[in-house]
Amino acid sequence: MIRFDQVSKRYEGGHEALSQLSFEVGGGEMAFVTGHSGAGKSTLLKLLGLIERPSHGVITLDGQNLAKVGRGGIPKLRRRLGMVFQDHRLLMDRTVFANVELPLMIAGTAPNERAKRVRAALEKVGLLAYERQLPATLSAGEQQRVGIARAIVAKPMLLVADEPTGNLDPTLAVEIMGLFAEFQQVGTTVLVASHDLPLIKRMKKRVIVLDHGRLVADVAAEEVL
Amino acid sequence: MQELPLNESPLLGESHPRGGRSRARPVASWREHHGWSALASLRRLMSRPVGTLLTVAVMAIALALPLTFYLLLGNVQKMGEALGQNQTVSVFLQPTQGGSAAELTAKKLRDRAEVASVTVRTPQQGLDELARMQGFSGALHTLDSNPLPYVLEVLPRPDAGADAVERLVADMRGMQGVDQVQDGGAWRQRLEALLGVGRRAVLVLAALLVIAVLLVVGNTVRVDIAGRSEEIGVLMLVGASRAFVRRPYLYAGIWYGLFSGLLAVGFAVLVELALAEPVARLGQVYAGKLQVDVLPPWLLAAVPVAAAVLGWLGARLVSAWQLRKVA
Ligand SMILES: Nc1ncnc2c1ncn2[C@@H]1O[C@H](COP(=O)(O)OP(=O)(O)OP(=O)(O)O)[C@@H](O)[C@H]1O
Ligand SMILES: [Mg+2]
Repeated sequence: MIRFDQVSKRYEGGHEALSQLSFEVGGGEMAFVTGHSGAGKSTLLKLLGLIERPSHGVITLDGQNLAKVGRGGIPKLRRRLGMVFQDHRLLMDRTVFANVELPLMIAGTAPNERAKRVRAALEKVGLLAYERQLPATLSAGEQQRVGIARAIVAKPMLLVADEPTGNLDPTLAVEIMGLFAEFQQVGTTVLVASHDLPLIKRMKKRVIVLDHGRLVADVAAEEVL
Repeated sequence: MQELPLNESPLLGESHPRGGRSRARPVASWREHHGWSALASLRRLMSRPVGTLLTVAVMAIALALPLTFYLLLGNVQKMGEALGQNQTVSVFLQPTQGGSAAELTAKKLRDRAEVASVTVRTPQQGLDELARMQGFSGALHTLDSNPLPYVLEVLPRPDAGADAVERLVADMRGMQGVDQVQDGGAWRQRLEALLGVGRRAVLVLAALLVIAVLLVVGNTVRVDIAGRSEEIGVLMLVGASRAFVRRPYLYAGIWYGLFSGLLAVGFAVLVELALAEPVARLGQVYAGKLQVDVLPPWLLAAVPVAAAVLGWLGARLVSAWQLRKVA
């Protein structure tokens, strides 16, 4: 599903955020990306959503070379992706419901189907009661969960989450991770960036470890202790 | 958090196969998003009424100006026509010409195609007319004989062109027994020429103000997009196409155009009403009867439509350029 081949990313004027990164994630697999702050986790995820382009190397997603996806193709690619952002990226002047509904609006889903799916997604993250509220009236953790609901609502083939549990208390964090695992069970590929090591260990999934943009360890699910 | 049975959940189950727009209802969803965009942009405009009103008012005035000039021009033209209808050319015969000579000349003129009628006024009629004017009656009594010549009042056909009338006047000047030709129609030509200038000026003005309207809409939409760059960024991140992101802004342009067009028509009608009475009075003084020229209904209907198209165009031009920067 995901294939990185000697991928490097150098930001303009900055140092190398990722260097010669190579790995593969199979379809329906779930993996964590971890590493210190500034290791390049967010950068890796951004390359998948074509928010950034690699300086070198080839990224293949579902058999498609991302370098070949032009500007016009980006929206189509992103519609097949569910992205949870480290900074939520919610629309502050629209209700929780409207925020979660966005991907379905873009996909052109029928209104009644939309409502059904939005409620199901909100229920999954435990925010059904908040559907009429504006994101600003929610706590940071609640906002993060709205972002998660938005990412899963359109049933993406690949779910990419950047620190999805950063603002959640441990119990809730476990529940949310469980939710991601649930998606993996029905065939969605899931990639989660996190530096919550205890939680990662608990999940017993594959772990990709970055250090200063280099892949230093790739631990298979069975080997996670 | 409530647990949903996996197979019954609308969320889980087969993931979006190719992710694109649901193929089953592309037209319906497209139409739906248009409706949504139109409403959402309208709501946004209404949420800041003062700014919207100012923009709309500026655009409306820009649109109302050429309309007003068009209206004025129409009325001046109408008045010219009305005046021109009773515009006769007076042909003063030499004093030596008697009644039969005058009739002969009149007959020659009546035979010309561009002449509608020729009235012969005898010296006696002329004298009577003078006598009716106050102050002259006394002076006239002291005259031994009638000093006035025969006068032919020649009325050109209303459809005769200015050239034809000019040729007629020149010919009459050259006719035997003619002393003087007084062509009151010369001013008509001047008016005609002036109207030509006016019509051109209205066109140029309209073109300039159309550009002004485009600029105002464009700038308003540009500011709008700049203020919403964050929202646009989020929309693009979750897979919105440029067309999707742009749609509400295009509708905003359409609304601006439509409202300003309607307001411009309102302004023009006000001007029309304000002008109606004085123009009618002027008409009475000069031409006896004059229909005030009003803006034709088709034009009043066309202005809001054309303005909406302009608004859309301005928004389209700016958004294409602006979104290239954002995304
Ligand atoms: N837009 C950018 N321009 C320049 N440098 C950047 C940019 N984004 C990230 N970087 C740099 O690239 C490196 C990797 O950043 P990245 O955000 O991927 O780290 P991270 O692993 O997600 O860190 P964190 O755990 O703090 O979120 C950092 O050194 C960062 O300063
Ligand atoms: Mg990060």
